[in-house]
Amino acid sequence: MPPEPQEHESEDPGDSSLIDWMLSLTPEERLEVLDRNVADILELRRINGEEWATEHSSEG
Amino acid sequence: MGYRALLGRLASAGIDFVVVGGVGAVLQGVPTTTFDLDIVHARDAENRRRLHDLLASLEARYRQHLPRILTPTLEDLDSDGHLLLVTSEGPLDVLGTVTGGRRYEDLVEHSTTMTLGGEHAFRVLDLETIIELEEKTGRARDLAQLPVLRETLGKKRSEEG
Repeated sequence: MPPEPQEHESEDPGDSSLIDWMLSLTPEERLEVLDRNVADILELRRINGEEWATEHSSEG
Repeated sequence: MGYRALLGRLASAGIDFVVVGGVGAVLQGVPTTTFDLDIVHARDAENRRRLHDLLASLEARYRQHLPRILTPTLEDLDSDGHLLLVTSEGPLDVLGTVTGGRRYEDLVEHSTTMTLGGEHAFRVLDLETIIELEEKTGRARDLAQLPVLRETLGKKRSEEG
């Protein structure tokens, strides 16, 4: 028999461990995580946008 | 550029505001990502003037009118509406009210005070009220955030005993 889920326990254990990790940080550290994540996502978008543009520049 | 820098500029300018939305959730431990900072500001004349001056120094302009450069006015800052701006420090949504017509004065009692580096205090809407507002918007993207918001709140309450 699998264990009964705890109250507030996520269906995704990844979510739960991420919450635990975030709660272990100070608010300022959480903000730094967010800043880094957003910067990384925007950089990935930029790189992929440029690659997409390069790949399609010879078309048409 | 970033939320820390933008929050620091707002707080050090002596502006009265409450952080709501995704950044408010992250500050309280929710593992999520958002691409704008949402604030609800006090709309008394002095606070609007301070905010207007700061927005000018941040080269704030309406992002839905880009590439046209349309800047927020003092009168705009006295509206119930949402000013969707982009600044030199990133996107900033300046909200006159949130769901249910709630203004700064209605939210302060549901907020906690935080600082950056021990100075520059600012207010953040508590997680219970962020959840309440997101439940009421009915927007798909807000509703999708609810499970992780609720789980974080549950864990915080457990920690607090």
